Amino acid sequence: MAVCFTLGTCLQLRVEKWNTRAQSDSLLAILLGDGQRMFANHFFTKADVYFHSGYYPSWMDQGMATPDPGHMTEEHHDEHEEAEHEKAMDFLGAPKDWIDRFGRNFFPSTHAHLDKPGESREILPWLRLSADMDPQRIQTYTVGAFWLRRELGKVDEAEQFLREGLKANPDSCEILLELGRLYDENRHNPVHAGNLMQLALRRWDEQEQAQKKPDEGIRLQVLIFLSHVEEEQGNFRQALHYRELELSLSPPQPEIVKQQIEELRAKLGEEKRAEQTPGSKSQTLEK
Amino acid sequence: MTAIVDIKDLRVEYRKGALGQGPKVAVDGLNLRVHQGEVFGFLGPNGAGKTTTMNVLLGFVNATSGTACLFGVNVNEPIARQRIGYLPELTYYYKFLTAEELLRFYARVFGIPRAETDKRIDELLKLVELQDARKRPIKSYSKGMQQRVGLAQALINDPDLLILDEPTSGLDPIGRMKVREIIQRLKNKGKTVFFSSHELGEVETVCDRVAILHQGKLVVEGRVDELVAKYQTNLEQVFLKVVGYQPAQV
Amino acid sequence: MNTVLALSQVVIKELYRRKDFYVLFVLTALITLVMGSANFFNDDKIVRYLKELCLLLIWISALFIAVGASARQIPAERENRTIFPLLAKPVTRGQVVAGKFLGCWLACGIALLMFYGFLGAVSISREHEWLVLNYFQALWLQWIFLAIVIALVLWGSIVFTAPSSNATICVVLVIGIWGLGRYLNHVALQEREPLRSVIYTIYFLIPHLEWFDVRDKVMIHGRGLVPWVDCFLATLYGAAYTLLFLFATWLGFRRKALNT
Repeated sequence: MAVCFTLGTCLQLRVEKWNTRAQSDSLLAILLGDGQRMFANHFFTKADVYFHSGYYPSWMDQGMATPDPGHMTEEHHDEHEEAEHEKAMDFLGAPKDWIDRFGRNFFPSTHAHLDKPGESREILPWLRLSADMDPQRIQTYTVGAFWLRRELGKVDEAEQFLREGLKANPDSCEILLELGRLYDENRHNPVHAGNLMQLALRRWDEQEQAQKKPDEGIRLQVLIFLSHVEEEQGNFRQALHYRELELSLSPPQPEIVKQQIEELRAKLGEEKRAEQTPGSKSQTLEK
Repeated sequence: MTAIVDIKDLRVEYRKGALGQGPKVAVDGLNLRVHQGEVFGFLGPNGAGKTTTMNVLLGFVNATSGTACLFGVNVNEPIARQRIGYLPELTYYYKFLTAEELLRFYARVFGIPRAETDKRIDELLKLVELQDARKRPIKSYSKGMQQRVGLAQALINDPDLLILDEPTSGLDPIGRMKVREIIQRLKNKGKTVFFSSHELGEVETVCDRVAILHQGKLVVEGRVDELVAKYQTNLEQVFLKVVGYQPAQV
Repeated sequence: MNTVLALSQVVIKELYRRKDFYVLFVLTALITLVMGSANFFNDDKIVRYLKELCLLLIWISALFIAVGASARQIPAERENRTIFPLLAKPVTRGQVVAGKFLGCWLACGIALLMFYGFLGAVSISREHEWLVLNYFQALWLQWIFLAIVIALVLWGSIVFTAPSSNATICVVLVIGIWGLGRYLNHVALQEREPLRSVIYTIYFLIPHLEWFDVRDKVMIHGRGLVPWVDCFLATLYGAAYTLLFLFATWLGFRRKALNT
């Protein structure tokens, strides 16, 4: 007994140095260790399965098609994107034999998205679980917040979820971007939204610029949003600056950006002219 | 006289497990007839083929050659077992059932109507003195009680032929007496009893006829009183003599 | 038929007097209720994840009840030697096989009714509607699935000596067919001859157990009912495989020597 006690007390100090898992606060972390990430992935995919009302490639179909779960939050689909998505989701193909044909009556075998009002709430538990399993998975927070605020009107919960994500990932420009959107679209606070966007832009510059292949998609979204927020507040010069930066990133539809730049320039010209005409500024403000 | 059990040229071989070994002959050319109303003792040393013969009669083992009939029906037909009761040497029953449930199950197998079943269960549980334990699961019974349940199940269909395999083994003297009483009662009712036993004194007391089997072959068959008269000794000595027992020199 | 029913009644009694079913039911209920008590973004109408979890537990529990019960039926009769007093009565070995199957199948049916009743109660508390036909269809098809599994395991209990090895092999086989059976044709197309023909033959020979799993379509994602004609055809398909396995069981059991 004395030997056991002595060994126990001596080894305890050593074990603490190398066994960090056993000291975790979370029971799941102790039980699963790094395996949590695997579960987090699975739960995130599960959310996408629910988004497609159960029609989703299984792990046997994965080799044939791997849908991008990011489309869960894509707001506007053009025809091309829609066709691409349809193509990616046509993993079943034509039935190969009678067993295949008959078997399709017993599982969801047609492509669909959640469309009934409030139905999107069903994807939330999986996102919550995914976030619990892997707090570093940023997409979980942005997708979750998107559905919470856009479809279910749960702005407070969305903000809380995003702040939780931000706590786990303080440098995440994606979360800052989503939080900015929340402040602009739901809280109607463009000033706070703009501040968050600027912070997101700074974070992007700090992290991504050094990278060989920086994720310019995020920067583009932040710039679009910033220019929109600035324009909303009447800061046309600043908005124009962001639009020009946007154009330099080769956006998917540069003509539209160029047109927006032109429009901003026109507004800026109008503003200058108004400034030159005495009393006109106060009139404009009154309007 | 009607033959209830009719065995003709019965031969049973078991395949040996080891390579190169031939089949083991368990029963060799057995001919036996048991008539209605008889109490028939089936004797023999261990490994003589008694149990194998019983297994053939009960349909557990197929004969290699020859035939065995019960009530004139080949034992391969399940209907041949409609009018028999069987008590195995050791108790093998569903231990999660109560005595009443077990008897009800077997009665249902025999197609006995419900009212008649209730009546028989009451009678039999009274006969084997298990009325008080009828609602208790069999797993909670003592060995003697389990043997008595066995006896009750063997009698549930009011059988015309009762096959008993070592019915008194493991029973206390009172239990043995009870079994003897039941055999006697069945005999008085004109039923046939076919049983194997090593208790030769008991056999001598209750049996009308006996057959002694040795190494798969029938060596002696006859009425108990005739055999005792013929060999001028008791049944035990007759048994030892016919199986060739040599007492060890001390 | 009376004998078969009597035998099945004994099997049912055995099953409900053992603790396996209660343990699995309590475990299912407990896990579901714990998960049900979780608060996801203050939304108490979220129900599908709970249904999915509960159904998964029901499927696992039912599979283990079915395999566990049927794997030990015939070996236990031989091991405990209860088969001897039984076969000494006017009972054929075919009736024993049929009675054991029916008992296990009915017992699983009773268990399924309880499990689905619980699922219904949980679901009603959130959705405030009970789609009776959906529940019936899902339960019915799962019951047919269990019929195939029970018949397969009974056959396995004749082929394999130990109930534990039979149960393990059958569980692996059933899960394999259930999960992969649907994709064997895809796999076959990627292979060269003669492997392609071999895999295709297996694909056509195995019972397609995945047809009986309509959780996603009927229960969770609300994609409507399986057409009743297809449901009927699947039932016939399941019955054919069940009879085939029971016939194989009878063939094997008929030849088994029972030595006391």
